[in-house]
Amino acid sequence: MPARSILGLCGLTLLGLTGPVLAQAPSTGADLKATIALNGFPCDQVVDSKRNADSDYTATCKDGNRYHVYVDATGRVVVKKL
Amino acid sequence: MRRPYVGAIALIILLAACAHDSRGSRVVGEPPVTPGAPAPAATEPGPAAESPVAPQPAASAPVTGPEGPAANVSAPAAGPTAPVASSTSSPSRPETPKSRASNQAAVPKSAPVSPVPATAATAAAAALPPSKAATPPPLDLKGLEQRLRDTRAIGLFTKLSLKNQVDDLLAQFKAFHQGQSGVTLGQLRQKYELLLMKVVTLLQDGDPALASAVSSSREAIWAVLTNPQKFAAIGYST
Repeated sequence: MPARSILGLCGLTLLGLTGPVLAQAPSTGADLKATIALNGFPCDQVVDSKRNADSDYTATCKDGNRYHVYVDATGRVVVKKL
Repeated sequence: MRRPYVGAIALIILLAACAHDSRGSRVVGEPPVTPGAPAPAATEPGPAAESPVAPQPAASAPVTGPEGPAANVSAPAAGPTAPVASSTSSPSRPETPKSRASNQAAVPKSAPVSPVPATAATAAAAALPPSKAATPPPLDLKGLEQRLRDTRAIGLFTKLSLKNQVDDLLAQFKAFHQGQSGVTLGQLRQKYELLLMKVVTLLQDGDPALASAVSSSREAIWAVLTNPQKFAAIGYST
């Protein structure tokens, strides 16, 4: 059996194993969506997010609402409707 | 002749790799905690253990009008995951820090909280005096906090938002214990239930074990928050 096939097999196997591991971390959109909802604003799904700076995002929800989500100087997460 | 074998082996390995534990498929319809079942986390107190007895002796206090909303909210907050008897009693009365302090003095004596299931609890209660049988398992607040920090079920922004809200609530409890707050214990209970529901909702998809542990610790955490000595012991400072 050629070594190339064995290597390919191992690669595919590793690819299959890393899927669930990567899937556990929430995406930025999911994180922003949960944050927006936690702060009392409606957002069914974040369809677009733009990173403005560290811990500073502009999120666009599926319903068209846009929010500025950032961490202020005191360490609080602030969500402002744009 | 070797090629079919190689292909079969490759297929088996790929199938085995794909047969992982899918976290998203077991959430719907799975209650994080059933009232009669012990919590999955060994370090957390069981929900059924504390459900029969509320941390506050509110049964003797009359339910007055202004606290109607608090009483209404606490019941749905308990939902399918919370003990039934626990959330209906304590938030339903207007309580000042002074009256609460006098009530809490009676709580440890009159609240037999048992960590074991009902059948075992009855047997244990028959064997032991009530005061001996009422020793709850220790609440692992640090462990819970660390698990919340470490979980990958929620993102950083979400964790920080939750931390902000937890800090806000703790500040309100601190003011309540110092007698500087106009908030009643029922209102605090309402806020506490709401926050806990948010946490459990966020966790139940990605980390059901932790969601169950948090839900199971509901009454134990509440007992810490409402007891001035225990609250001071957790070392919260604004």
